[in-house]
Amino acid sequence: MTSEWLTPSTRSELIENLVSGVDRYNPSNVGILEDYLYHQIRSEEYDCLANLAILKLYQFNPDLYNPDVVINILIKSLTASPLPDFNLCISLLDERPINSQLDEPDPLPSILPLLKGLHGLLYRCRFPSFWEIYNSEQLSVLRDNYTVEVAGFENAVRAVAIRAVRATFTRISSQRLGSYLDLSGAELSVYIQKLGWIVDASTLVVTIPPNPDNQIEAIVVQESVKLPQLTKIIAHSVAKA
Amino acid sequence: MAQQRLSIWNAEEDLEEDVDIGIAMGNYGQNVQYEESHLQPQIDETTLLAMQQHMAQQAAFSQIPDVVKSFIVHFHQAVLENNLAEITLAYESGWNKYTEKFYAKAEWPEAELIAPLVNDDPIFLILYRELYYRHVYSRLQPNIDDRFHSYENSCELFNYLLNSDGPVELELPEQWLWDIIDEFIYQYQVFCTWRSKVSTKTPDELMMLAEGGPVWSSYSVLNVLYSLMQKSKINEYITAQREGKSAEEIAEIVGEYGQRPLYRMLGYFSIVGLLRVHVHLGDFTLGLKVMENVELNQKSPFTRVTACHVATYYYVGFCYIMLRRYPDAIRTFVTVLNFIMRMRQYHTRSYQYDQISKTADRMYALFAMCHALSPSRLDDNIANIAKERYGEQYTKMSRGGPDALPAYEELFLYACPKFITANPPPYDDAAAINALINASAEEESSAAASVTQAEPSQRHLELFLADVGAQLQVPTLRSFLKLYTSLGAKKLANFLDADEEELVQEMMVMKQASRSISRVAGMEGTSLLEGQMITTSDMNFVIDENMVHIAESTIGRRYAGWFIKNTERTQKILDDLKSMPLPAPAKASAPTASTPSTGDSTVQNKPVKAGAKVAWGSVKAA
Repeated sequence: MTSEWLTPSTRSELIENLVSGVDRYNPSNVGILEDYLYHQIRSEEYDCLANLAILKLYQFNPDLYNPDVVINILIKSLTASPLPDFNLCISLLDERPINSQLDEPDPLPSILPLLKGLHGLLYRCRFPSFWEIYNSEQLSVLRDNYTVEVAGFENAVRAVAIRAVRATFTRISSQRLGSYLDLSGAELSVYIQKLGWIVDASTLVVTIPPNPDNQIEAIVVQESVKLPQLTKIIAHSVAKA
Repeated sequence: MAQQRLSIWNAEEDLEEDVDIGIAMGNYGQNVQYEESHLQPQIDETTLLAMQQHMAQQAAFSQIPDVVKSFIVHFHQAVLENNLAEITLAYESGWNKYTEKFYAKAEWPEAELIAPLVNDDPIFLILYRELYYRHVYSRLQPNIDDRFHSYENSCELFNYLLNSDGPVELELPEQWLWDIIDEFIYQYQVFCTWRSKVSTKTPDELMMLAEGGPVWSSYSVLNVLYSLMQKSKINEYITAQREGKSAEEIAEIVGEYGQRPLYRMLGYFSIVGLLRVHVHLGDFTLGLKVMENVELNQKSPFTRVTACHVATYYYVGFCYIMLRRYPDAIRTFVTVLNFIMRMRQYHTRSYQYDQISKTADRMYALFAMCHALSPSRLDDNIANIAKERYGEQYTKMSRGGPDALPAYEELFLYACPKFITANPPPYDDAAAINALINASAEEESSAAASVTQAEPSQRHLELFLADVGAQLQVPTLRSFLKLYTSLGAKKLANFLDADEEELVQEMMVMKQASRSISRVAGMEGTSLLEGQMITTSDMNFVIDENMVHIAESTIGRRYAGWFIKNTERTQKILDDLKSMPLPAPAKASAPTASTPSTGDSTVQNKPVKAGAKVAWGSVKAA
């Protein structure tokens, strides 16, 4: 399940070479990786390791730093929750020297706390609060300048919620599901239909198909003795015979 | 600067220049030598100075104890002859012995001073300085000259290894090779930490740092490690070996460098070194990615040097923690902690024993954290030791709630690697650096935090605590759920004095916390980053609209292990008994009736043996 994360099928050979080879340290390749990031943003693809490679170059070459790229990387990694991608990106954001010469004021210091807050809500499965805060007036700066450009951002957030719901529930009320997805009415029905989940027409309760995580069973684990455990004893007997 | 950067990705063809540039930039030390030896004839004053210096040197030379002089001569001889046994002896025991005796609180004699003893052998002097500076770093307080010179000396050493005409003939014990790489990274790490504290620098230091150029820059350190890996073709070697290629094929693949043990081991150790550098820099995925060819098992060549073995597992385990892969972290720590325990009787005498037990102690702390986050029964023995050492913190962590966070924080800060900032404060920009110094002075006077570059470990701590903070309710929830097989969400919310919707969301967190990506059986030989989703908790639950259903997996009693262990023990006791000399009663009873009693004892003995034989015979017959 991690192989798609390690090497997304959408990653080109050029990018693969950059991610896996020493070429990843070459500052002149940053443009290729940044272009690839914007490609991910437009076409709903995601490649965590390639984006980390950009942050690595920024870490070593502060003069390459581009706050918009960083913010976009963080936005993309946000919806990988509960995988640790967001934290992995933050880990690479070294303290920035105060004299960094940018033409415009750096937007990252003001955006970063907002993103961290959103990440906390997603990681803690507080989906209704996430939507409330995400849609608030205070976050219009994030929506209008950044997430609006990220194709399918809201659906990616919904996918996070769906992953949590799928693992935890066998049945869930439409209303609750709707509050997690920030959808209601016809939109919600369409969304549920696309998932292939079934809604009971009278009670409006959604049934989630069985999957390895939402089926429980009390198991008694019995010990099973493997041959290697017995080799010493058998060898001893044979040696004596 | 730009040229220096080019080096790292331009792989082999540019290698020759790379390290040269590093040395050229770090020519600080060469100037000193220059004054001493070359400028003699022209000015009287200079001659006078030189003579004075010469006399001072002679005086210093005569101060060196004779045993140390002969030790150095002997050491040099061993290196010249590539006599591994003698080198090992001098390195592991002689050096430490004389350090304790004469240099516990002072530097060893400068390399220039002992140069006549070794015929000015430049290679030996480089190796000598390697030891000299390592001693300064570990026992004394290195000053800025030491820091710059040790970098320059490391560059000279790597330059000699990488840029001579073909592979060098030198051979060194594996332990030393590991120490070279390990120390190189250690000095880089302490330099970065030291460099980031602007306010404590003297004007001279500020000037030197401003002109320091690539000294201990991240790029130059990575450059050395990657160059060693490429020169030794270590990844190709490991792959070829895994594919079961013949010795001849491997020799052809790895080329003239990779065939030599010196380069091969340096290659191996550089991989581990890279893992460590990436962890210091906070890049946990890349850390595990560079390890992707290395088999993490007890047979791997890097385990031949215990310090390397322990360091590898420590850094790998830590990466897994930061990737939220607690079961993998637990497995990693358990493996190596068991190894350390088994090895204890052998390595107490090693000069690295202290270092190893310190690392082990930190791993127990990390293990305790992981164990609280993802309880498992992988190894009760290690778990018990961890609980013994960190009992108070462990109790708080596993109970969850608000008390847990300080305990996590305490153990994390104690056990985490030293994190560094990749880039220096702007020493080359006088205005900016003055602003920083003034700012920090002001901060200090206003009694605020006096850090100039924020401590990078704080950033990682904050991330870790945010992860952990999300799970703080889990232990409480779990303890309630354990009492039921099904329970209404509303009722559970009432127990916890919580809002029902909040509770349901918390349950999703709990579900999330009981799942983790982990390596599973059959993944041997794949990247350490590979894994599959597994269940980590023995308690499982599911929500059907508003009803929580719970199922707990139990582990049946285990008998087999007990019986196997005791059968083995009995077999051993039986063997011991059999190989013991016969008891002496024959002699004791001898005076009364010597002949019958001896006859008796033989008679008594015989049937036993015969009986055993018969028993075996009958088993065979059956």
